[in-house]
Amino acid sequence: MDHSLSELEFLRPSWRALQRVAAVFRRQSGARPRRTEVRRCTLKRAPHWLGVFVLAGVLAQGQSSHSATYDTERHVRLQGPVTRVDWVNPHAFFFIQVGDANWAVEFGEPLVLERQGWNRNSLRVGDVVSIEGNPARGQKKQAYATSVTRSGQRLFTARAEAPARRAEPTPRWPDGKPRLGPAPGKKGYWGSASASALVENVGTPIPMNRDGLLENLADIDRVAPLQPWAKAIYEFRQRNLLKDDPYNRCVPPGGPRQFLMPNGFQFVEQRELGRILILLGGGDRNWRVIYTDGRPQGQASEAVLSYYGNSVGRWDGDTLVVDSVGYNEGFWFTNGGLPHTEALHLVERFSRPNLNTLHYEVTVDDPRAYTRTWTGTWNIAWVPDQEIQEYFCEENAESTFVR
Amino acid sequence: MTRRLGCLLLGLSAFLMAQEGHPLTGTWSGDWGPSAAQRTHLTFVMTWDGKKVSGIINPGPNSMPIGDVSIDFSNWTVRIQATGIAAEGRIEDLASVHRSIKGTWKQGAVSGDFRLTRD
Repeated sequence: MDHSLSELEFLRPSWRALQRVAAVFRRQSGARPRRTEVRRCTLKRAPHWLGVFVLAGVLAQGQSSHSATYDTERHVRLQGPVTRVDWVNPHAFFFIQVGDANWAVEFGEPLVLERQGWNRNSLRVGDVVSIEGNPARGQKKQAYATSVTRSGQRLFTARAEAPARRAEPTPRWPDGKPRLGPAPGKKGYWGSASASALVENVGTPIPMNRDGLLENLADIDRVAPLQPWAKAIYEFRQRNLLKDDPYNRCVPPGGPRQFLMPNGFQFVEQRELGRILILLGGGDRNWRVIYTDGRPQGQASEAVLSYYGNSVGRWDGDTLVVDSVGYNEGFWFTNGGLPHTEALHLVERFSRPNLNTLHYEVTVDDPRAYTRTWTGTWNIAWVPDQEIQEYFCEENAESTFVR
Repeated sequence: MTRRLGCLLLGLSAFLMAQEGHPLTGTWSGDWGPSAAQRTHLTFVMTWDGKKVSGIINPGPNSMPIGDVSIDFSNWTVRIQATGIAAEGRIEDLASVHRSIKGTWKQGAVSGDFRLTRD
């Protein structure tokens, strides 16, 4: 955010209405406006255009990637009283007064923090805290806390994982097939992924941050068998610190990326209807359908192109095998910015070796972007006794900077 | 009020649409000419099949196939050849759905400049 709080306060009265309009319009595949229309708007409605551009800028940065927002090469220590706590999805913030400045401190996703036992009352206005973290890029009074201490007691540690749980057997349906959701009478959802981005499963792990930003650009050739144009685009995105990520503009995280998001997801197996729904905790509460009624997969060229594709699934022993085609090119299908085309064909394999682990494997077949098919895998941890929470991307900018 | 809302929607659309695949895929429109006063409209439709970019110029009764397209990824320079046409330009604003190509255009004995913007 390059706007000061005072600038954004000026926009507050019309913010909600604009958000609704933007959300509706964002989902349209609209053609570019005719030039005459643009010119009329430009000349006669210049004051409104000014507001539009400012607001669009706010919207476009409503959910910036961590790498583009924070400078992980720099560190900051701050101490002061808490003046406000915003316990909101997807990023929780508190504000502290440091001298004459009021700093906005991001300290993780509420859902993840709650997995660790924290809640919205763990930190209160007036508490004096010390934080260590990474400052925002530029001159903004904003930081991402890697630790928060109050009266010598460490409170939050960003990105800490929940403690390991005892392995329990896979819950199963009466016919013996694994349940992908909770056992009857229980709650839970799938939370943290063991990987931050999709990469090919060869050799040693590739160092990268939570957004899929490589620590070393020389590793690009190890990420996936990219065609030259795809490699160039991927490198361009990496060099730009992923700031052009469509997800930052609330575009759905289609493809394997849906299983990398911190807000988790849930399977709803509607066996009587021959389908499985995947409900996403992030990505504007998107949902995806996997048809398991035996229908054949259609041709990619005939599909209505979409963010989550056309998916058909079948069980191969204890593994759900899902075949998907029909993806549009409007999104990044993994953190980190690997490109894909409309020819993308995914084969996903889901297995649940025990209650707490979902093993995910995806084979990527996109001959227009890659030189051959390739496979990536990761595990996803079960979060027992909790539910995914409401999260609307558009709310983020308002909740953290405007309200 | 309706016009104001229309302006708002048009303004937002430029920021919110996306095309993240091959950078040349899609429909492009613009013009070329030897001077600012002499311009000829252009429409390009280009696709990427995994091996080469192909397409047509000015779809319709007077259309012309694109003969050859190449990109230098080190500087995003595009070279386009069709019957009697040789153009070379640079992709600008690569991350935008409305990215553009600007450069030089030669058609027969006439030389000029061109600009194409992805729709």
